[in-house]
Amino acid sequence: MTDISAQTEALGGLLTRDRIVRWAPVLVLVALVLLFPFFEFLADLVEGKEHVYLLDSRFFSIRNGARIGIAATPALMVAVGATFIIIMGSIDLSMEGTISVCAVLFAFAFLGWGGTLASWAWLAIPLALVVGALLGFVNGMIHVRLKIPSFMASLAMGFVGTGLALLLTGGDRLRVEDELFRSLLTVRWLNFPIMCYVALAFLLLAWFIQSHTALGRNFYAVGGGEQLAQSSGLNVARVRIMGFTLAGIFFAVGALLAVGRIGIAETATGNNFMFVSITAVVVGGTALWGGIGGVWNTLVGVLIVNVINNGMVVIGLPPYVQDGVLGTLVILAVALSTNRKSVTFVK
Amino acid sequence: MNLERIKPHFPWMTLLALVCVVGAANPAFFDPLGFLSLVTDVVPLFIMALGMTFAIYIGGIDLSAQQVANMVTVVATVYLSQFGIGVAVICVLAGFLFGAMSGFVTTRLYVPSFVSTLAMGFIALSAAKYLSGQRALSMDVTERNTSFGWMFDSTAGVPHQLAIAIALLAFAWFLQTRTSFGRALKAVGSGELAAVASGLNVDRVKILAFAISGAFAGIAGLVFSVKLSGGDANLANGFLLLAIVAVLVGGTPLTGGVGGVINTAIGTLIVMVIRAAMVYLEISATQQQMVFGVVLIIAIALTIDCSKLSGVVK
Amino acid sequence: MYALNKVDKHFPGVHALKAVDFQVGRGEIVGLVGENGAGKSTLMKIIYGAYQPDGGSITIDGTTMRFQNPRQAMNHGIGMVFQEQSLITNLTVMENIFLGYEQQFVKFGIVDWRAMAKAARHQLTKVKLDVDPAAVTSQLSFAQRQLVELAKVLTLEERIDGDLVILLDEPTSVLAKEEVELLFQLVRDLAKRASFIFVSHRIDEVLELSDRIYVMKDGAVVDVVTRDEADVDDIQHKMVGREIDKEYYREQKQAPYAADAPLIRFDNVSVDNRYRDISFDLHRGEVLCLVGTEGSGREAILRTIFGLETPTSGAVTIKGEQVTRFTAMAGVARGVGYVPRERKVEGIVNGMNVFENMTLSQLNKYSDLGVLRVGDEKEMAKDWVDRLAIKTPDIRKDCGGLSGGNQQKVVLAKWRSGGSDIILLDHPTRGLDIGAKEDVYEMVREMNDAGVGIVLVADTLEEAIGLSHTIIVIKDGEFQKRFDGTPGAKPSLYDLVHHMI
Repeated sequence: MTDISAQTEALGGLLTRDRIVRWAPVLVLVALVLLFPFFEFLADLVEGKEHVYLLDSRFFSIRNGARIGIAATPALMVAVGATFIIIMGSIDLSMEGTISVCAVLFAFAFLGWGGTLASWAWLAIPLALVVGALLGFVNGMIHVRLKIPSFMASLAMGFVGTGLALLLTGGDRLRVEDELFRSLLTVRWLNFPIMCYVALAFLLLAWFIQSHTALGRNFYAVGGGEQLAQSSGLNVARVRIMGFTLAGIFFAVGALLAVGRIGIAETATGNNFMFVSITAVVVGGTALWGGIGGVWNTLVGVLIVNVINNGMVVIGLPPYVQDGVLGTLVILAVALSTNRKSVTFVK
Repeated sequence: MNLERIKPHFPWMTLLALVCVVGAANPAFFDPLGFLSLVTDVVPLFIMALGMTFAIYIGGIDLSAQQVANMVTVVATVYLSQFGIGVAVICVLAGFLFGAMSGFVTTRLYVPSFVSTLAMGFIALSAAKYLSGQRALSMDVTERNTSFGWMFDSTAGVPHQLAIAIALLAFAWFLQTRTSFGRALKAVGSGELAAVASGLNVDRVKILAFAISGAFAGIAGLVFSVKLSGGDANLANGFLLLAIVAVLVGGTPLTGGVGGVINTAIGTLIVMVIRAAMVYLEISATQQQMVFGVVLIIAIALTIDCSKLSGVVK
Repeated sequence: MYALNKVDKHFPGVHALKAVDFQVGRGEIVGLVGENGAGKSTLMKIIYGAYQPDGGSITIDGTTMRFQNPRQAMNHGIGMVFQEQSLITNLTVMENIFLGYEQQFVKFGIVDWRAMAKAARHQLTKVKLDVDPAAVTSQLSFAQRQLVELAKVLTLEERIDGDLVILLDEPTSVLAKEEVELLFQLVRDLAKRASFIFVSHRIDEVLELSDRIYVMKDGAVVDVVTRDEADVDDIQHKMVGREIDKEYYREQKQAPYAADAPLIRFDNVSVDNRYRDISFDLHRGEVLCLVGTEGSGREAILRTIFGLETPTSGAVTIKGEQVTRFTAMAGVARGVGYVPRERKVEGIVNGMNVFENMTLSQLNKYSDLGVLRVGDEKEMAKDWVDRLAIKTPDIRKDCGGLSGGNQQKVVLAKWRSGGSDIILLDHPTRGLDIGAKEDVYEMVREMNDAGVGIVLVADTLEEAIGLSHTIIVIKDGEFQKRFDGTPGAKPSLYDLVHHMI
């Protein structure tokens, strides 16, 4: 007699393709972390300076780690929001607009209601989150109800958002100088500023949503087989709209952290977030066609992107190389993660 | 009369209606000289939209157009003194090459075009920053005038810039309607599987479509650079949205296969009239982006061919 | 208990179900057999609620039902185990089992995994499958997934009051022999809790499992037999039994082919996971028909000849030259024309007009340095519209708006005007009305007379027998038997069916 129950693929076999694909982002991250100190080591070697690998590294230090952390946290929140969307097999390109609007509205409310967290101005924080949710909701509605592919719907919404932010500020910068709010950056526990811990908390929340809520699991169902999910009775349209709304909230968190980091809210607050966050998500191993990956992948992806950015500065490469490197990285990550047999054609 | 029948006529009817409304509100709009300068202003945008049409016509998108144009403004400015008018060749080639790379990444590496072109755009941005040293560069005025001064003249009342645009439109129209490449484009946009089953080299057609989009973006960057007499890695920012809007309101839907370069000419004129109207209504430049974002959403919703989306919209 | 009474279903041009009566008793296992196109799948879709009947009624315990969608049918105890795997592979086993019904385990939006796992384990014991409910479905074997699907359907037991009817659509197609045994044992055990409708083209299996068997042909039930009185040969005859009309298939026009140098030679060609060690020759003026069930590898062979699939071993020789580059482009250059089954998707380009479609495969021939000679295109198109009597008001008419038969003629004109002398026909008459079918048959003979070699995958067995000079039967990707189809000595339907299944 055959025992069907025993047919489950043995999880053994150290180097299965799946396993390599799954762990590749982590390996890349580790390799990068070891690589940049090596360049420093080489540079000092050439100059004849004494240098103990890793120990004398400027890159591989807690100080620099905190620097990477500060640079990475807003992008991490944005990328986490985008992760939910990409798991569903859609994409969200609206983040730059959403972030700018949230940041600017937050700043207006914050300054208008007292200008310090110790007053009613703290209400500006929930307000920003609500605004993010609202923009995401509209984005999702346009995508689902008007049947517009998400990349286009969200791109257009992004333009609308940036335009709205510009309209609100008229091009001015708003300074948020409340010490209590800025303590996100200025107060440090164990060498890392509070904003890193805030981001960590939201990352855990995202993980909880992803793995312990019906909504989170439904994202995977939609990404893994939209039509099957629909025919099983899942309200796919609702899941999609909720996904975009949720992403909007995370974009708003990213906006708050970005304002906390530089103390300024303006139309340009959202700049560059789109490409960096999408890059981080796909480089982290969340597949563009949906169903695979998650927020931990995104954490790895965000770290990869920021380690590259930081490392290149440390070893003295000009900053403009970064865009090109990230562009190449995205193409590689998507190309490597695509199972060519399952794709008929791509447009 | 049903919606499907009148759909193809939407764009020019919209244009006509807009022209009438704006003209009625502001008769100065019909002043020939003013109108001509409006049209001339929109030439670089039109050229970029013309190229974008090819990418959208096959059902893809080219999000790198703006960055390629940015890069070309830098290339043009940096190499003008060295090559004179020959710099034009370099500009077009650079755009073509970037477009071809996007096409290659899309067809051979199976990366959807909205990601591949986004990524290629950032590579172009990197190149632009490298070449410009992250500064705003300006052309030497005498050199510019020797090589490209003719662009600002006009013959029989037609500004040469406009003549360039018309010539490119004619060329693109010829390509689309009279060549085997154009026919293959239509087949790929309307029914890719049938095109494959007819033995067409679909990959080559797609790569070429993206390459043409890139080349036109290059020409747009060059014209823009000469107009502003300089180059900068951010010079053409703001063009992408308008170029996509121009293609879509012209009646080439995101799903491809329908519409074409003439539609884009109409679409660009619509964008132009809306812009003129906003100036007249004193809506500032800062608010225009929002308006165009909304116009874009409406245009996509009206033009998209739901039957081609096979039920699942991602 | 469950009954269909005089159920009718029409599709444009097809009477798919003709007054079908169908009953399932409590705890009964009912078999349903029939050829492809006999109406089995339409009947199933009506049962599980995907289609609504045009006439007749559905009753459960005497109460008339009308299901608007599968979910409504499910809520009345009717479940479906699909032939294609309908599990979402990136989800866990338990998530798949309760997909769409997770609400019972959710409190304040949070999923109680432990409760779900417990409930899932309960369902899995019903099908005697001992896998971790939290395992990701993609790690499971096909046999296991099949059982998970069954477990998913069995959740109905807890969810609804009343009897269950479970449809099994070709459940054995992905299973090994021992696994089939296990499945059957399981179904017999489960028959205490639910009735089953078992659909398969493997008659022996249906006989083994079912209490009663419905035999369908041409949209009607032609016989109902109990297990005791059932006989394989008898059922096979009833499934296919009809007289072949020689006139209809233009048999009198079938001329012997030229047995000299072959156009195509397949020498032990294999494509992994599709077919193995297939050899045959195709000559000028010959119709070679590949016969087999759905998924037996017939289409893959056609696609190999055209260049859309690359063989993993063996040699393909076309017109004396061994093929090394397998691309559609090279295939077209060699004179191969492909008439695909999905006419509207792969055959014609919807949105292009008649002449544009006709020249699509030969743009180089109608252009100089890439510039089209539209005048020549139109002239050619007009010529072929006349020759094939294509009914179109104008050669500028969008092909998507033509009737199916005329679309098929446009596709054929595309290849013949380009001089293709090897034509691959994949279900060329699918969905056509009788007149249009006859036109296609006529064209097949004309092409033969013009020295064209044809490889055919026919829509029905009668068509295969009527049209072909040579028939090759394939089963599960392997060669079974070659039949000679000379008029007067043609094999019978029964001969073919016998080797197919």
